[in-house]
Amino acid sequence: MAWISKNWAMTGIMKGLIVTLKHIFHIGNRPLVTVQYPYEKMKLAPRFRGRHSVDQDACIGCGICEVSCPNGTIRIVKYNGRWFPEFNLGMCLFCGLCVDACPMNAIKMNGGYELANYSRESLVYGPERILFKKEVNK
Amino acid sequence: METDELLLNMGPVHPATHGVLRFKLRMDGEIIRDCEIVMGYLHRGTEKLGEMKTYLQFIPYTDRLDYLSAMPNNYAYVKAVEELADIEVPLRAEYIRVLTLELNRIINHLVFMGSLILDLGANTAIMWGFREREKALQLYEMLCGARMTFSYMRIGGVREDLPEGFIPKLNDFIKDMEKRIVDYEQLINGNEIFLLRMKNIGVINADEAINYGMTGPSLRGSGVNYDIRKLEPYSIYPDIDFKACVRKECDSYARYLVRMDEMKESLHILRQVADTMPAGDIITTQKYGIAPMTGAPSAVMTYFPRIFTPPVGEVYTRTEAPKGELGFYVVSDGTTKPYRVKIRSPSFCNLVALPKMIVGLKIPDLIAAFGTIDIVLGDVDR
Amino acid sequence: MIANAYELVVYILSAIGIYDPINGFFQNYGMEYLLRIIIIVVEIVVLLVFVLLTVMFLSWLERKMFAWVQSRYGPMITGPHGLFQPIADGIKLVGKEDIIPAGADRWIFTLAPFIIFVPALLVFIPLPFGDSLIISDLRIGLLYIIAISALSPVSILLAGWASNNKYSLMGAMRAVAQDISYTIPLALAAIAVVLYVGSLSTVDIVRAQEGTWFDIIPRWFIFVQPLAFILFLIASIAEMGRIPFDFQESEQELVAGFYTEYSGMKFAMYFLGEYAHMFAVSGVIVTVFLGGWTGPVLPFIPVQITSLVYFIIKTYAVIFFAMWLRDTVPRMRIDQLLNLGWKIMIPLALLNLLVTSFLLTAGVV
Ligand code: SF4
Ligand code: SF4
Repeated sequence: MAWISKNWAMTGIMKGLIVTLKHIFHIGNRPLVTVQYPYEKMKLAPRFRGRHSVDQDACIGCGICEVSCPNGTIRIVKYNGRWFPEFNLGMCLFCGLCVDACPMNAIKMNGGYELANYSRESLVYGPERILFKKEVNK
Repeated sequence: METDELLLNMGPVHPATHGVLRFKLRMDGEIIRDCEIVMGYLHRGTEKLGEMKTYLQFIPYTDRLDYLSAMPNNYAYVKAVEELADIEVPLRAEYIRVLTLELNRIINHLVFMGSLILDLGANTAIMWGFREREKALQLYEMLCGARMTFSYMRIGGVREDLPEGFIPKLNDFIKDMEKRIVDYEQLINGNEIFLLRMKNIGVINADEAINYGMTGPSLRGSGVNYDIRKLEPYSIYPDIDFKACVRKECDSYARYLVRMDEMKESLHILRQVADTMPAGDIITTQKYGIAPMTGAPSAVMTYFPRIFTPPVGEVYTRTEAPKGELGFYVVSDGTTKPYRVKIRSPSFCNLVALPKMIVGLKIPDLIAAFGTIDIVLGDVDR
Repeated sequence: MIANAYELVVYILSAIGIYDPINGFFQNYGMEYLLRIIIIVVEIVVLLVFVLLTVMFLSWLERKMFAWVQSRYGPMITGPHGLFQPIADGIKLVGKEDIIPAGADRWIFTLAPFIIFVPALLVFIPLPFGDSLIISDLRIGLLYIIAISALSPVSILLAGWASNNKYSLMGAMRAVAQDISYTIPLALAAIAVVLYVGSLSTVDIVRAQEGTWFDIIPRWFIFVQPLAFILFLIASIAEMGRIPFDFQESEQELVAGFYTEYSGMKFAMYFLGEYAHMFAVSGVIVTVFLGGWTGPVLPFIPVQITSLVYFIIKTYAVIFFAMWLRDTVPRMRIDQLLNLGWKIMIPLALLNLLVTSFLLTAGVV
């Protein structure tokens, strides 16, 4: 309290008030920056690590991604007579180690980030949901 | 007059404990007579996990220690393994690493500033902090695809090269940041109420701070010039011009100012690194058969052997994380998994000094002092 | 001369020529008082609706301003620029489960949120919204306002005590300690003005501020009593219980202070009470120091309307300042406020009183 008597003019608070006033009226390059999320979305960087997808033709079902995953997210399952990985995204760390490990470069991580769901089971992304064909993508 | 002591359980769910931390306070009215810190609510056994995972697989877990500054955690662990296996890292990789580390220091201090001011009751600064942090996170997103849990460092280098247009965006960020810091200082630094709440609150002198094992900005706020980047220079820090920020006042305000100064120093470092970024490899190609993957669609994709076995030995490395000294003690028994990983986390060691600072003060002072030691519960409990 | 809103209604009714027939109708049955009651009830309903709408608008404004300071948009979806957000909030809060903690004192716990509305609404009675727009021009108006608004800690204390929660209790204790230390400088600062005017009536205080010096500077008491104004403003912000003096809630220390345990509609009552109080206190500041409803008289428009507009503009300016301050400064510590109140504000207010009375006796002003 002794300190306050040294500065009766409260210059510090005045300065602060001026800065906030500048923000209220957006003076001097202080625009509103937020995004109205569900209605407008931000552009993601191309490298964004979101949901996985697996190239249907490239994947050889070797299981290297299964071994390299730190969390046991991946399971190799049979689908249409071939072996493909299945991702339990509820456990996934989105670390990208499986992408690095795949010898055929079959796994991609794309911009899918709206993964919230009502049950744990629906977070298991089997081959029917993650496979893509390269030709289609082109 | 005879009065009873009031036992107040603050937390584990409380707006100002930054997560799940419990203070057991013995109060005399509003005056704190004794404070016991109860932690462990966020214990996830990270150290034990380190023994179960291969060297490479443990990297994503280090992200989750101090989730506000994942990059320094990545780096500290990777550096420990590199020293263990004697891997040399290319110069470009080191530059990129320092760039990301210092960017993360800025992010961390922005959140620190915001949450400290929020704890004191002013709600504005935190959103300003997050506004600038968002820009830095976008840079990270460009760089490694993640915004918080980067998993960007790899043993022997980094995961991906700088994307196109990264350096100009970084320069924009630096320029923008310099202007914003002026705003923060105008809002906060001279504010009389802020000074009333911070000056001479939570005082801990240099000797006590050292005895409690405090490190990082919290220690430097007590006037000890202890910055591992200067004392035990690692990476490219010897070639870079910067100074360790020290304040002598030993109180909460000093600890706050040290961090604001550090943000400016980090910007200075960023500018140097961005200007002198050398060309070259981003991951080592010499040892353990690490080679760029053949037939990789992008040239930056690298291949680290799954069977990575460093020689038998042990190593302790320490780095200057934004919150203080972050050390990794890694023991190898020659298999693919570490025999033991011990993490010396700055938040934990800084937190235990808190009761020393606040006994005899009031609850609002507890909040203020607690805000200035800047902890993350993920880092405390591991 | 129309003195208050009742007479204004009577005046309007007789101007359009329906007062006498209605009055005659009631007189036939010997129940003239019924008409008086009806008119007063209508007045009160209008006031209540006005206060509720204002409270809604204020909570929207608060959020919006807060958002702008933080470079956000704030509510945007419900209605134009989120204007109906308070209604959505209200619906949400009404739909919430109403929890009464196990150890709580049920009756007091339930009653406390309604009690907080009483002082906030009673303050409006002697508050002149405009020329003759006043429910009742009490001769002790200012004293009444100070006394009534000093009641709101009672509700807070009840809530804090009944909740059976340590945080609530501490918040309540703080509210009481704070109340004592700011009400005294508040009253002392106001007394300086009262000395000047020679009357406690709010209408007289406003009338004393009519006119200008040198045709530009309005004769507001802020220019006559700047020190008293600053003291009154600080004490009023403390009375509103807002940052930097929101010790009763102080979210980061006491979770939510005295309403930690409240949920649903009761929580909404506190929320509404807070804004109603804020509007009332700002209105008092305007009345006492900023010239109340006075302003340039416009031709062709009835003075009642212009004065209402002036009053509302000024009140919103004060509210704007309070919100702006909230967005800027952190919270003080409770003992620091007590120090500020007892060691600085009360001596200063007394000094101000001394100087004012000296000057008045000497006939300087
Ligand atoms: S995705 Fe790659 S690593 Fe996984 S099974 Fe297919 S080819 Fe093997
Ligand atoms: S991103 Fe990481 S955690 Fe997720 S599936 Fe791939 S390796 Fe496993």
